[in-house]
Amino acid sequence: MHTIELIKVRKSYDQFVAVNDLSFSIEQGRVFGLLGPNGAGKTSTIRMMIGITVPDSGHINLFGKPFERTGLQKIGYLPEERGLYKKMKVLDQLVFLGELHGMEAGAARQKALEWCKRLEIDAWVQKKVEELSKGMQQKIQFIAALLHDPDFIIMDEPFFGLDPVNATLLKDVMLDLKRLGKTILFSTHRMDQVEKLCDSICLINKGTAVLQGDLKTIKSQYGKNNVQIEYEGNGDFLEKNPLVSAFNNYGNYVEVRLAPGADAQQLLRMVADRSRVNKFELMEPSLEEIFINTVGKTNA
Amino acid sequence: MHNIFIIARREYLERVRSRAFVIMTFFIPLLILGVTVLPSMLMLRGTKETKRMVIVSPDRDTAEMIRSRIEQRQEEQKPGQQEDGAQVKRGGLSAAHYTVEVSTDASEASRTALTEKVNKKELDGFLWATPEAVSARKLSFVTRDTSSFIENGILGQTVSDALRRHALKSKGLKEDDIEAALQPVDVEAESPLGKNAPNPQVMTIATMVMVMIMYMTVLLYGVGVMRSILEEKTSRIMEVMLSTATSKEMMAGKILGVGAVGLTQVGIWAAAGSVYAAGPLIAARAMIKNVLSPSLLIYFAVFFLLGYVLYSTLCAAVGSMVNSEQEAQQMQFLVMMPMILAVIFIFNIFQHPNSPIALFGSLFPFTSPLVMFGRVAMQPDIPWWQIALSIALLLATIYAMVWLCGRIYRIGILMYGKKPTLPEIIKWIKYA
Repeated sequence: MHTIELIKVRKSYDQFVAVNDLSFSIEQGRVFGLLGPNGAGKTSTIRMMIGITVPDSGHINLFGKPFERTGLQKIGYLPEERGLYKKMKVLDQLVFLGELHGMEAGAARQKALEWCKRLEIDAWVQKKVEELSKGMQQKIQFIAALLHDPDFIIMDEPFFGLDPVNATLLKDVMLDLKRLGKTILFSTHRMDQVEKLCDSICLINKGTAVLQGDLKTIKSQYGKNNVQIEYEGNGDFLEKNPLVSAFNNYGNYVEVRLAPGADAQQLLRMVADRSRVNKFELMEPSLEEIFINTVGKTNA
Repeated sequence: MHNIFIIARREYLERVRSRAFVIMTFFIPLLILGVTVLPSMLMLRGTKETKRMVIVSPDRDTAEMIRSRIEQRQEEQKPGQQEDGAQVKRGGLSAAHYTVEVSTDASEASRTALTEKVNKKELDGFLWATPEAVSARKLSFVTRDTSSFIENGILGQTVSDALRRHALKSKGLKEDDIEAALQPVDVEAESPLGKNAPNPQVMTIATMVMVMIMYMTVLLYGVGVMRSILEEKTSRIMEVMLSTATSKEMMAGKILGVGAVGLTQVGIWAAAGSVYAAGPLIAARAMIKNVLSPSLLIYFAVFFLLGYVLYSTLCAAVGSMVNSEQEAQQMQFLVMMPMILAVIFIFNIFQHPNSPIALFGSLFPFTSPLVMFGRVAMQPDIPWWQIALSIALLLATIYAMVWLCGRIYRIGILMYGKKPTLPEIIKWIKYA
C-alpha cells in the first residue's frame, strides 16, 4: 500500500509556480528522501501533504484513500523551522500537542515521559522551553512529532543543528521506527544523511521532479565510473584533465567522474606522478554528486 | 470542535497561571483598596492617641462653649459608637482625641509661654480666641498637628458653631431653640423616575467605571490575542499545530481562550468589588445596589462579549499579518481607533444621550458596545428598537469580520518577511 501518493499536484502563488505537476508515491515502511535545493518546492509540497494548503490541481491520496483531515492524526510532522511555546513547561507542551493529535491527556503524558527518558531529557520535563539548550529543544520537537505513534513521519531537515551524538541518537530512533513498519519522509539538502538512511528518493528542482526512484537503482545507473582520490600536493591539474568529465573538490578529497572511454589506471598513474596518493577508489557516484550534476543540468 | 477546546484551554490555563495575570488580578483591587480604605483605617486608629490643647480667651464663657462643642463633636465621632458606617463622612475622622483645657490669661507672656510649650511638645496646640480675634472672625491655632482635625476644617467648623451658639445664647435664646435653628439640612439629588431610581450622579460615575472597565478589558485582551498569535507565528509553533488543527480552529480557540481569561479577571474584580461594597466602609452601598440592576449587568455582559469578539477577531487578523511587535503596535492603534474615539466622546454622549452623535455611536458596530451600553445605563427610556438594531448590526459585523479575518489569518500565519500591502491582503482574502 502507498502511504502517500501525489498525482500531478500543482501549487502556485500568483505568477510563481512552487510545485509544478509533481507526482510521486511512498510505499509503506520505506524511508523516502525528498531532496532539492533551497526554494525547490519541498516545503510547499509537504504543506499540501498535511493539509495546511490545498493544491490548485492534482490529487493527493493518504493511506490509500483520497486526502481527508482525519488522516492527519496518524501523521507526525517535524517542520524545518522549529517552534515551541517558549514560556510553557516541556511536559505540558508535549501533552498539549499530543491531545491535538487525538490522544488522551493521561496517555500523552505517559508517552511523553517515556520518550523524554529515551532521549535523555527526562530531568528537564518540568522546565520551561526557553530554559533549554537548542539541542534539547530539538529533541522535544522530535518527540512532539512522534508522541502519538504516527504511521507516517514527515521530517523537514531533522538533523539541522544537532551535534553528532544527538544526531546518532535520532538516527537510531528512526531506524527503529523503520523496523516497526513506519513510513518516513525526509526533506533535506544534506545528501550524506539521505544516503545512509533512505530507500528511495525524489529530487525536485523548481517544483518539478528531476530524478526519482530507488536509491540503489539510481546509483547503479551511473555505474562505477567515479573515482574518489585522497592525495597530498596540488591537484589543480585534475580539474582541466581530458580524462575527467566532472570534478568536485570536497576539501579533504576530490571526486571525479571519468570521461567516456577514459582509463582509471591511466588517471592513477597521472596522479601518482604529481602527488602522493593516499587513497584511490573506484565507486558509484555519491548522491551529492548526482544532486549537484542533476540540479546543475536543469538550471543550465 | 475538540481542537478548539484544547487550544482554548491551553491558552486559558497558561495565561491564568502566569505571574502577570496573578499580579494584575490581585494587585489592582488591592491597590484600589489600599488607596481608599487604608488611610481611613489609619485615621481611625489615630483616635486612640490623646492630645492636649488649650483654649485661650479672657472670656471664660466663650472658651467653655468652644470646649464643650469640641468635646461633643469628638464624642460623636468615636468609631465604636457609630450605628452605621455609612454615616462616616470624610471630614468626620479626626486624627486624634484632644483633651481641652481653658485658660483666661490672654497676655503676650502667656502666648509666648504656650508657644514655647508647643515647640517643646509639652502641648499639642492652643487656640487663641481673644475677643479681638473673634470679632475679626480670624483665630489662630498654634500647633504642629497637620491631621484632618485642622486640614478638613473640623476645628474651624466647630469653633464657628460654638461662637454662633454663644452669640445666640447671649441674645437670650433657649438651648432647645438654638439646637433646632442650627440643625443642618441634607439636600440629595433625586431622579425624576422616583425615589428608588438611582441617584443620577452615582449612576454617571458607575456607568463611567463600567464603560472604562469594558474599554480597558477589550483593549487589553484584544491586544493579548494579537500578541499571542504573533508569538505563535514568530516561534513557528504554528506549523506544528496546523499539521493537525485548521486555521479556523486555531483562531477560534485563541479568541475563546483569551476571552475566558478576560471574563475571569472581570469576574474576580466584580466579586471583590461586591465584597468591598458590602463592607461597612462604603457609604453608597444601597445606591450601588440600585445602580447595578440585574438587567444592566446582563447588558454589560452582552456588549462586553460582543465588543470583545469583534475586536479580538480584528486583532487576530493583525497578529497574523505582521512579523514583529513594532509592526503590530502601529496596526493595533489603527484597529483600536474607533474605541478610543468612543471613549473620548463618552462624556458628551452621557450629557446629550439623544444627540445625533450618540445615536450614530450607539449603532456603529465598532463603537456601539461602549456607547450603546453607556446609553442603556444612562437613559432607561431608550427606545427598544435602537438596542435591538445595535445588537443586530453588531452581530452582522462580527459574522462578516470573522469570515474576512479568518481568511486573512489563514494565509497571514504562513507568510513571513515583509508586512503585506493592502492589495496583497485583498488577494489573500480572494484565495480559495
